[in-house]
This record gives sequence, C-alpha cells and structure tokens, in this order.
Amino acid sequence: MNDLTEYVTLISSDDFSYVVLRSTACISPIIRRMLDPSNGFMEASTNTVHFDNINGIVLEKVCEYFYYNEKNKDAKDVADPEYASTLLIMVRKLISVSFPTELCLELLMAADYLDV
Amino acid sequence: MSGRRGGNTIRGPRSALTDFLAANNISAQQIRDDYQRRRQEGEEDAGEGASAQAPQQDDDEALAVAAQAEEDEKQTKKRKRNEKDAIDKIKKAKASKGGKGKKKAKRGDPDLDDDDGEEYEDEFNKKARPAPGQFEHCEVCSKRFTVTPYSKEGSDGGLLCTPCGKEFTKDLKKEQKAAQKQPVSRKRRKMESEKLDGVAAGGAKSLVQLCINRIAQHHDDVEELGDLPENLLDRLSAIFSKKRVMKSKTLPLFLRPDLDAVIVHDAAYLEEEDYQQIFAVCPNMRKLALSNTCQFKDASVDYMLERCHNLQHIQLYAANLVTEEMWHRLFQEAGSKLHTIKLKWLDAAFEDDVVAEMAECCPDLERLKLKLCRRLGEPAVEHIATMKNLKHLSLQIGNSVSNDTLIDLVTKRGSKLSTLSLDKFIDADNEVLQAIHDNCKRLSKLRFSENDTVSDAGFAALFTNWSNPPLTFVDVNSTRDVDNNNPTGPEEVIGVGSSGFKALMAHSGPALKHLDVASCRFIELSAFIDVFNGAQTYPALEYINISFCNKVDTSVTAGIFKSCPSLKQLVAFGCFDVQDVVVPRSIALIGVPRAQDAIEQFGVGIGVEEAIGRMVEKANITAH
Repeated sequence: MNDLTEYVTLISSDDFSYVVLRSTACISPIIRRMLDPSNGFMEASTNTVHFDNINGIVLEKVCEYFYYNEKNKDAKDVADPEYASTLLIMVRKLISVSFPTELCLELLMAADYLDV
Repeated sequence: MSGRRGGNTIRGPRSALTDFLAANNISAQQIRDDYQRRRQEGEEDAGEGASAQAPQQDDDEALAVAAQAEEDEKQTKKRKRNEKDAIDKIKKAKASKGGKGKKKAKRGDPDLDDDDGEEYEDEFNKKARPAPGQFEHCEVCSKRFTVTPYSKEGSDGGLLCTPCGKEFTKDLKKEQKAAQKQPVSRKRRKMESEKLDGVAAGGAKSLVQLCINRIAQHHDDVEELGDLPENLLDRLSAIFSKKRVMKSKTLPLFLRPDLDAVIVHDAAYLEEEDYQQIFAVCPNMRKLALSNTCQFKDASVDYMLERCHNLQHIQLYAANLVTEEMWHRLFQEAGSKLHTIKLKWLDAAFEDDVVAEMAECCPDLERLKLKLCRRLGEPAVEHIATMKNLKHLSLQIGNSVSNDTLIDLVTKRGSKLSTLSLDKFIDADNEVLQAIHDNCKRLSKLRFSENDTVSDAGFAALFTNWSNPPLTFVDVNSTRDVDNNNPTGPEEVIGVGSSGFKALMAHSGPALKHLDVASCRFIELSAFIDVFNGAQTYPALEYINISFCNKVDTSVTAGIFKSCPSLKQLVAFGCFDVQDVVVPRSIALIGVPRAQDAIEQFGVGIGVEEAIGRMVEKANITAH
C-alpha cells in the first residue's frame, strides 16, 4: 500500500467521520506529518486520523476551512469570508467559510492544535 | 420639520401642496371626509350651489383654504389623529432617508393619495396615540410614564418609556449600521493594513486568524476564554489592544492564576483597580509587560511588590505617574531577581541616580532597554557601564553623551554583549565604532541609527576583519549627513555609503535576517548592484528596508529577488526609479510608487525566475 490514496478520513472525538481530499487535509502540517508514510505512524497505514480533542461540529468547520484554503491558495486578494457575499465574486465562486460565533473558541483551539 | 429633509423633497406625482399639507399635519383624506359629510348635511338643508362645484376640481387644492378654517374649529377632535399621521409621515420620511441617500423604490409614495386613504382608515380604527402630558404604559417594561413629543414608538406600535426608548434606538442604530454595505475601498484599505502588519501575506487567512478576528469583533459578548494556550492568549490580547477594547471589562479574560506572563499591549484604559486585579489574580507571574500604562501609580507598584515575588522580567512603557522614590524602592526590593528591565517614555521621574540604584541592586540584569527617558544623561551611561552581566543593551538617550563615555561603555561591556542598540546618538563618532570593532566578539544584533558624524570609512573599518561572527540583525537607518545647503553630501561620505554597505554585506551576508539601510541615500547604485548581483545568495535574509535610498532602481529589485531566496518583505518607500516590478510568490513589496492598485504588491503565484523574466521583457519593450 505504497501509493497514497486520494482521500483520507478524519474522525472526531464523538465518532463523526469526514472523508476529505488528502491535499486539503495536508494543509495542516500536523496532519501531513501524521499521514506521511515515512514517519511510520499508524495513521499513515490506515489513512485515517482520530482526533480525541476535537468534536464533530468543530471538525466539520475545519474541513470546510481546508477546502476554502486550498481553493484560494494562489489568489491575490482573498476576501474575508464574512464579506464574500457582499463583493462581486460571482466569477470566482469562492467557497466561503462562515461559522457561528459560538463555535469560535473551540474552533480556535482546534486551529491552533492543527497549526492551520 | 425634520420630516422635510432627505426623503420628503418633491418627487414624482406628489405636488408641492400635498407636501405643505403633510408638513402642517393636515390630512387630505380627512378633509375629504369632512367635506363629504358637510355636503350631505348641506344637501339636506337644501343648499347645493357652491359646494357642488368643488368636488369637480382636484381634491387637495380646492379644499385647502376651506380646510384651514375647519381645522381651527375642530382642533381637539382632529389633534389625536393628526399627531399620529404626522408621526407616520415623519417615520416614513426617515425610513426613506436611511440607506446612505440611495433612493429605494418608493413603494407607497408615488400614489400617495390612494395609499393615504387606506392608511388613514386603518389608523382611524386603531387606538390613537395619547397626547403629551398624559400617562401611558411602556410597551416593553409596562411602567407608567408621561408621554412627551419625544416618546419613541416600539415595534408593536405602543409607546416606550425613556430608558426603553433609548435602548430601542440604540438597537435600531446597530441594526442599520450592520445592514449598511461597507464601501469597497474601505475594505481594501483594511486588508492592506492587515497585510502591512504581517497578518496575511496573500492567499487565504489562517483559521486561527479568522477565529481571532471574530472574537475581537464580538469582544462584548465573550465571557471567558477557557483554556487557550498562552501564545493564543497573547495574540488575542494584541488584537484587543489594537482595537482599543482592552478595558476593565475585558481585562479579566486574560488573567488566569496559572499564567507565567501578563502582557498588555495597550493599558491606556486600565485604572488602579485593574492593576490590583492583575496582581491579585496572577501572583506567580514572572514576566510583566505593560505598554501605555499611564495610570500605573505608586500604590499599584506597592501592591505588586507585595504580591509578586517571582518577577524576573519587567517592561513598563509610559509609567509616568510612578515617583522617584518608588523606582528606588522597586529596585531595592525586587532588584535581586530581575533579569530584564525595559523602560520607555519616562518624562517626569527616573533620574540618573535611579540608574545607579539599579546597577547596584540588580546584579543579574541581562537585558536593559532605556529609551526616551527624558531625564537620563551621561551619568546614567556611566552607571550602566558597571553592570557586569549585561547581554542585551538598548539605549536612546536624548541628552548629550560624550564619546568617551560611550567608548568606555563599549569597552567594558562589549565582550559579553549580543545585542547593542544605540539609537539617535547623533554625535557618536568613528572611535565608538572602533571600540565596537575591538571589543564586541559575539554580537548578533546591532543597531546604530540616526547619526551624522560617523563616516563611510568608519563603517567599512568596523565590518572589515571583524572577529565577530556574521550578524543576524543590522539596522543602520538614517546614518547620513543632513545639510540642506549641501544635498549631495560632503566629499568624504558621512554615514553608511558604498564601501560601508559592501563591507557590511560581505561580513554578515551569510547569516543576515533583517537588514535596514533606510535613508542611507549616499549608497551608490553600483554598490547595490554589486551586492545584489543575483549570483551571490543571502540565504537567511527575510526583511530588507531600502526606503529613501533613491539611487535604487528596478534592476536592483530584480537582483534582490534573485539573491534572497527567503525574502518575505521588501520595503522601498521613496525609491522613484523602481518601476514595473513583477513580484514573485510570497514576497511583499511595500512602498513602490505608481503601483497599480495598492501601495504594496504581492507575488501572484509565480516563481522568481518567471518574475524576473517578465521584468526584463517589460524593460526591453519600454526601451524600444
């Protein structure tokens, strides 16, 4: 099983699974290292990562952020997600990641843990 | 009369007379009704003639004059209804005025007459608004209050008492503000400002940054920050300070008993009780960093000395209310454990003998920063020279300090120093640099700025054959001759010039991370091209500031891109020969004039080679 699968699975503390593109998950250097076969982690062989400290709702927003980030990697002036709807970006069709404020603190902790 | 402004000027089918009537609380429909009634009565009395003609004409115009007379007679009965109508009209006018003057489709207004009829009938059946002076129950809190002409109407049509009315308008204003669309240019500006702060260097923002922004936006609603790690707490406190919301209410969010360091970047709004709270909640802190601590007084220092026995690092900027005796006491009591002392902006107190006390009581002092302390002078420097364990020294002293004292300082302490920053010592001369050359063997950060005495040869001598390993941080900004009568400078170049610059880069090039030669305008173009020739690389260089070196041109910029693979920021204000730069990926170019959309340009996802290729093409095209 040496060739890398296109998709990987991220599992939250409350057993929600999210199947995402490997390239997007690897935006987080922590996940990238966990999934790197040369490091010999269990996660690399199963292509699955368990997060005991991140719950389902937060992990979902994190996955959304991964996609948002990859889409806008080379963009010059990326609009703030909150403003995405008010600017004329019909052409670009950016996925915006907006999240409820209540989620903010937990999301911040998860983002800091994942270094993303 | 306020209803007249904005939305109530004449438009469309509405006539001036209708306007006049509305402004004077005269209801056209009511006049019509009254007239009809009178007409019927008149008919019964067998008087048709005059009254029969009037309805043929336009309702409003004909009846206006008659209406006036009627008005005076039946004032009390109509007053309630009229007041309500007037209030409606004003509200309608205000609603149409909102939205920054944009004319929304006047749904109701074009056909005012028809709509008026329906509205007035509806309101006629509703309960009338009580006259000013009468009592009414508040819609929200059900308290009894006296109706005034200024009483606000609540969302269900009832009236609100004064406090509820205030809350209501405040909420309304907030909603309106949020609903307003931000003009695009302002958003752009905000984005650029954030990029200049280093927050987002192109591409999408990090999730951490997004969350922090959201928290800062809703700072009012945050009750507790939970278990955030210290670095995040620090970033959050930085943003709070930047947005000027670090106040008594938000301060407790950042205080936890287990904290090692308390850092407040802008303590301008904090008062004595807040400082007490800081020391009460975090007695085990080892580092205290307060900037803009204008309200930090003796009592707070006293409490700090009482509670916090582990303080090792103190940073107090602008603590101007602390008295001289208190400074003495601070160093006497806490000095033995102190490793870091950073003080800036002290105008009222802090004399040379406090520095003497500091030198005596703080034997383990390793980091000292004294900037902009107005009362310090030469004796202070002499005392500093006696501090045996100094590793990092940063001085900016306004009063004149003789060269001999400086040389003495460097000679005594130079060997252990790894940071030396001498800012604005205008009269320091070549001898001081010579002393640095002779005594400093392990410097990694050197700042020698705002000086117009040292010559180019002096700088060259410093960096040639220097046994110090390559520096990581060099800041020699504003070292040049300033003479309005002689703009091209003297024969013998003063300040960092071509030979000094070349020697600097030759010495420190391999390890240099941060280079600042702003305003060193006598460095020649040839020197720049020699240093940044593309062939030689400076692997660690991340930040370059060549502002106001007006000999720099586009080829230098291209050379810089080529020679500095780790470059993140290039600041080039006032370099007018730099044009048409194509910026490679992940580099921020700031300050180049005639930029297309912003004062800074970002690499747009192309490599360095391609960027340089494009620039060469452009240069060729413009040449032909």
